[in-house]
Amino acid sequence: MDLLRLAWRNLWRNRRRTLLTVGAIGFSLLLIQTFHNLAIGSYRQMVNSGVRSGSGHIGIYAGDYALSREETLSYLPGELPRTITGLADVQQVVPRLYLPGLAQSSRESRGILLTGINPELERQINPFLKRIPDDRMIRGLDSRDALIGDRLMDELKLKPGQKLVITVQHRDGELAAELFRIRGVVRTGVKEVDHSLVMVGLNRAGRLAGIPGQVHELAVILHDSAVDRPPLKEVQALLPTRNDVRALSWEEAMPNLADAIKLDYASQKFIFAVILLIVSIGLINTLLMSVMERIREFGILIALGTRPARLRALIAVEALLLGAVGMTVGCALGSGATWLLIEYGLDLRWFITQELEFGGVVFDPILRARWDWPWMAGMGLLLMGICLLASLYPARKAARIEPARAMRHH
Amino acid sequence: MALIELEKICKTYRSGNLHVPALVDLDLQVDTGEFTALAGPSGSGKTTALNLIGCIDQPTSGRLRIDGRNVADQTVPQLSDFRLYQIGFIFQSYNLIPVLTAEENAEFVLMLQGMRPEERQQRVRPLLERLGLGGLENRRPSDLSGGQQQRVAVARAMAARPKVILADEPTANLDSSTARELLELMRELNRDEGMTFLFSSHDPLVLEHAGRVVRLQDGHLVGDERKDG
Repeated sequence: MDLLRLAWRNLWRNRRRTLLTVGAIGFSLLLIQTFHNLAIGSYRQMVNSGVRSGSGHIGIYAGDYALSREETLSYLPGELPRTITGLADVQQVVPRLYLPGLAQSSRESRGILLTGINPELERQINPFLKRIPDDRMIRGLDSRDALIGDRLMDELKLKPGQKLVITVQHRDGELAAELFRIRGVVRTGVKEVDHSLVMVGLNRAGRLAGIPGQVHELAVILHDSAVDRPPLKEVQALLPTRNDVRALSWEEAMPNLADAIKLDYASQKFIFAVILLIVSIGLINTLLMSVMERIREFGILIALGTRPARLRALIAVEALLLGAVGMTVGCALGSGATWLLIEYGLDLRWFITQELEFGGVVFDPILRARWDWPWMAGMGLLLMGICLLASLYPARKAARIEPARAMRHH
Repeated sequence: MALIELEKICKTYRSGNLHVPALVDLDLQVDTGEFTALAGPSGSGKTTALNLIGCIDQPTSGRLRIDGRNVADQTVPQLSDFRLYQIGFIFQSYNLIPVLTAEENAEFVLMLQGMRPEERQQRVRPLLERLGLGGLENRRPSDLSGGQQQRVAVARAMAARPKVILADEPTANLDSSTARELLELMRELNRDEGMTFLFSSHDPLVLEHAGRVVRLQDGHLVGDERKDG
């Protein structure tokens, strides 16, 4: 019979209260762990979707193109795509050229962003192009085929197979125009993008703008295993020192998405903090009640020779045991819920019918959680810490009991 | 030198603006091996005197020495250790720890002293047997009668072999035959082990068994009668 066993038995004196407190700790941990895992899973989905159609996990730009979108900041990639693809963590390097311009049909004209792409590479990684049937894809880097945003096509009153004229500014300052034929239709779900997107072969776009072979962006797509530790320095080391070409993480290249995720997670953290605060108040209440009910008994223990420090330790051990049981229950529930959300996901189409856009990225409406074991363990330990902190005041109160007065207490 | 020395001890309780004297200039010496009862009606100061001697309350004035030590000079941890090693308590309402078995309750003070479980068992089992609790070691207090619980309390008080056992109205909640049995047992332990017993009681049965009766009234010592030795 020692302190631990005594604390354990004391814990179950009021079974209902202990079970309720364990339930509160467990439920809060279930909520915190599940929502965190769901959040990081859905952020991963958004980032994957965003980076694959956007900057890549790492984007390579000339100067501050990522921020300024100054079209003169194009560069010749040379051997870079090949050498960067040679890195173990890299799945693909995708070149892109972005040219603001004008699209005209026989009836309408609209401002567009002409994107020069390598259709073969782009289709491997871009989730929106993967949906396009083979016979609707751009045929090669030099073809006159174009993919067009569905809203833009409607506004230009065009249909697949019809022609449109695209005008951009040539590097020498003159306007340059060329005729393209709509081969396929792209629907990203992002209104602004679907209103302005035209994709054509990279070489054709480059020649039209008078910058053949040049790109504005090399989007480096990583293998899943490397997403959490992008090899930014390794990629940077492969870049030529001339031309002011530099590698940016997706957070730097796509600040809208990064900021949206940060803001969303900050609001989640606030909710987590509120949950923890409520649990802490409940814990202090439980521990304080359990001390107040035993004032006479603590008086006896002190009279028998228990040192105040030992009494404080007894209360702290009781709180830690309560936390440990709550943590075990909470982690089991949190793991179960996370497993369900990984296997089956949370289908937001039950609640929202329109397409979901977040930080300029359309994401899969079936949200899937992702394991974050270190964080889950950390939260469990944090709750144990909160239990310990919550025991400080009741323990102090118990240790200050005057035995003669306590033994008159009924 | 007496084991317990009270010199001009006063204890006054405050109740709002009222000052209620519980003990007034009490002088008392108790020697090792005595079997002494503090007698008197309710409110005479018996329990207050026991609490002061047990170092669980402080006198308002006067000097208290136990085993040559001035209690006022001791720090809180020193007083805890002093109670742990030198004093055994038996309370009127047993005051066993409800989540512990009879044996664990009896071992409790030894556990606080840091004694190993096997040693504790060796010390406590024979004591429980002697107190007629053999076979009841694993019962919790709620499964024991009042008399059995008070025997466990006696075992707890005696297990650490303290210098003095303080018993506050130990027979108050027991029927007369159980009370007599318990008193005879304590008297026997007092004779065999040489332990000092100090009771507070107004039970004639206790006074009948006591070797010395110290009478208190309104906090004053009004009589001191020795029957033996």
